[in-house]
Amino acid sequence: MPTPVLMPQMGESIAEGTIVRWIKKVGDAVDRDEPLFEISTDKVDAEIPAPAAGVLTEIKVKEGETVAVNSVVATIGTSSEVSEQEPEAPPAPPPGAPSGDAVVPADVVDQPQEKAATPQRKTNGRAANASKPVEDDSRKQRSSPLVRRIARDNDVDISQIHGSGLGGRVTKNDILGYIETGIRDPGPGARENLESPGSRTPDPGSRVEIKPLSVMRKKIAEHMVMSRRTSAHVHSVFHVNFSTVERIRQQRKAEFEQSGVKLTYMAFIAKAAVSALRKFPIVNASLDGDSVIYKKDINLGIAVALESGLIVPVIKHADEKNLLGLSRAIADIANRARSKQLKPEEVHDGTFTITNPGQFGSQFGMPIINQPQVAILGIGTIEKRPIVIDDAIAIRTMAYLTLGYDHRLVDGATGDQFMAEIKEQIEHFDAERL
Amino acid sequence: MSKSFDVVVIGAGTGGYVAAIRASQLGKTVAVVERQSALGGTCLIWGCIPTKALLEHAHALKVIQQASEWGVTIPSGTPAINMTQVHARKDKIVDGLTKGIAFLFKKNKITWIKGTARLAGPGKVEVFEGDTQTLEAKEIVIATGSSPRSVAAVTIDHRRIITSDEAIHLKEVPKSLVIMGSGAVGVEFASIYRRFGSEVTIIELVNRLVPVEDEAVSTELEKSFKKQGITVLTGTKVAKATSTPSGVTVEAHPPDGKTQTISADVLLVATGRGPVTTGLGAEEAGIKMERGYIKVDELYRTSVPGVSAIGDVITLGTGVHPQLAHVSSMEGIITAERIAGKAVQPINYDHVPGCTYCDPEIGSVGLTEARASERGYDVRIGTFPFGVLGRGRMAGELEGFVKIVADRKYDEVLGVHMIGPRSTELVAEAVLALRLECTVEELIKTIHAHPTFSEAVGEAAHAAHGAAIHM
Repeated sequence: MPTPVLMPQMGESIAEGTIVRWIKKVGDAVDRDEPLFEISTDKVDAEIPAPAAGVLTEIKVKEGETVAVNSVVATIGTSSEVSEQEPEAPPAPPPGAPSGDAVVPADVVDQPQEKAATPQRKTNGRAANASKPVEDDSRKQRSSPLVRRIARDNDVDISQIHGSGLGGRVTKNDILGYIETGIRDPGPGARENLESPGSRTPDPGSRVEIKPLSVMRKKIAEHMVMSRRTSAHVHSVFHVNFSTVERIRQQRKAEFEQSGVKLTYMAFIAKAAVSALRKFPIVNASLDGDSVIYKKDINLGIAVALESGLIVPVIKHADEKNLLGLSRAIADIANRARSKQLKPEEVHDGTFTITNPGQFGSQFGMPIINQPQVAILGIGTIEKRPIVIDDAIAIRTMAYLTLGYDHRLVDGATGDQFMAEIKEQIEHFDAERL
Repeated sequence: MSKSFDVVVIGAGTGGYVAAIRASQLGKTVAVVERQSALGGTCLIWGCIPTKALLEHAHALKVIQQASEWGVTIPSGTPAINMTQVHARKDKIVDGLTKGIAFLFKKNKITWIKGTARLAGPGKVEVFEGDTQTLEAKEIVIATGSSPRSVAAVTIDHRRIITSDEAIHLKEVPKSLVIMGSGAVGVEFASIYRRFGSEVTIIELVNRLVPVEDEAVSTELEKSFKKQGITVLTGTKVAKATSTPSGVTVEAHPPDGKTQTISADVLLVATGRGPVTTGLGAEEAGIKMERGYIKVDELYRTSVPGVSAIGDVITLGTGVHPQLAHVSSMEGIITAERIAGKAVQPINYDHVPGCTYCDPEIGSVGLTEARASERGYDVRIGTFPFGVLGRGRMAGELEGFVKIVADRKYDEVLGVHMIGPRSTELVAEAVLALRLECTVEELIKTIHAHPTFSEAVGEAAHAAHGAAIHM
């Protein structure tokens, strides 16, 4: 009996997911729960295990395609059922379709032909011409006679349009909206400037390589620009003495390691941030129109750098954890973020974020707020520095901490008092509070 | 007995009972509060079903009256109508259908609670019927419907000055009947009683009959009505109506400015229907109202969480909300599905078919020519008469036409308007065409069986592109 493989519903608010990579190929044997493919939703990237053991007989959704949750993406059956088609391979570029800017000629890029063709840049949603492969594409996307007529008249590739109708059908409103927002000047010259006004597609022959953005990269791009546009960012930088923390860390390291946890600076900083947030609830709030939403829970987001991007898993109820609990939670989410094992709900509902540019040597960062939060704490590199104590130069373990905050809601005084509180907590860390 | 339900629906009309069935199908426990002694509401008991039953009687009489044209010999005398038998047949149909709903309730385990409902705070509905009981509901759906309403100048006495509620029960065919209003109700009763033998005068304030329809349809209907001997007074205002022991006197102001006095046995007021919210306590419950209607959003949520409203009682705040059984039932389905957590999409009210069962029948969907122009479309029209068709000749149905309103730029079918034989059935194709965003080209390429009335749709599409084949 073949088993259908479905696009999983990764959390309540997730409506669709993009297949970023097939780990298995058609014909491969798979065990139950063996990673089968990798998805990217608007919340999280994850590896999806096989629902049954058998042979991957058919892949219905290609890499890079986005489908609604519960859509069948593949079939697992016995080896005799292998489908002849292997749609997971990117289609060869249609003859004549790649206009000059679509694919960089192989000879100027130092890699094999096959690779160069792989990214296969879409020509911004417009059919290159009425060649057959394009027509086939539009057939796959459900639409209506009217939509096909409008697409033909406006030279639009329907497969590029998100369908809002039943079963993802592209409706008249969808295509008219697409034309209105996507194509201002339907003349051929408009093509290059669609997505990023001001940037120009390089001329053929330029020494460049063009790759499509990953789903995560696109989300980050959108989110960061949105945040810059939304909040009135200001930053306060504090120089904080970590000597006490460093001493406690050395004393208690072994004890923590026995519990299987590494005692890191991050845990101390998180602990200090939590108690400062308790004291300044406005920093743990968000702005909604004319109202302030004070969040009763402190859910701490920890930015984790990945090879391909960045993700902010969240420690829920961080205020209910002691130092050991926080250390354990930070290590756990960071590991799982890197191995793509996070669950979508683990990146939701953060109320405050900590990011650590210092791990790469930065003295301090000027982080962008993770919307809809109103503040973000950046940790600079922690190192020994000369400082003045009682008119003498002393060597202490120091770091710059930066608070990026939204001046719409948090004034400078509050931001600085909040930071002073964190500084105080760290410099006089109460060893009893472990 | 449990008094707590997932969903309590107030009103067992077409909107309410359909919402109840759908909610039950989706696993909800459902109660319906209805104060009438039968289920089905306006549509079944006073509206669509009884009037259409009477219209079928009128049609039967028409065919028999034309017997000689068909070579059918009737032994002696003039064909006549026996109102006692007519009402008996009509009532039997209504009775059968209301029992059908009771059966569906049983099948879907829906509790019918007889009485008048009042909203009694969040999640609570009080039902009065002798004594009071309180129901608890996670979700409340108001589907209380509408009732006929008059205009200021005319007071309904239910004897000489009547509404459709009485017009379906008239024991005798009135010798003369004046009808105020030429919407669906007005023109349908004009057709019924004219065929039954009444002298009918229809008075319409606007300058044409069936004002919601395309103007070409209005013109065609007026032509046919006049041919049938119905007096049509358009652009005419009723200033006063007085009951007398023997009848009613109507003072009307036609467009020429003179005053016209019309005496008749009965005046039927068919000027529209207003929302029913008496005793419901909607405003007290904090529900936002607009001109007496319950204000809802596009998914039928009122301003109070957990309370939805559907059907004739609502306004979406965007123009006139159509008071039609099929609209109410679709709103009921959408509401039940939304409550059950299914993904739902709002109704496109441009795609709601309208059917008027007067003789000749009217079926229409989408934009009229005038409305399409107002919306800025570069409109093109294709019209084809039924009388040209083989099927029309055979049936002796030579009146009417199909008119297609299309957008020249993208060839979209914007509206289809038909008057004539089977129009209320033929419109289904047009509804699907609009729903699926059809072009005129697609209608042309759709094969219409021969010989049928539906050929007029294909031919009208050809006409919109330049020329019909058979004309």
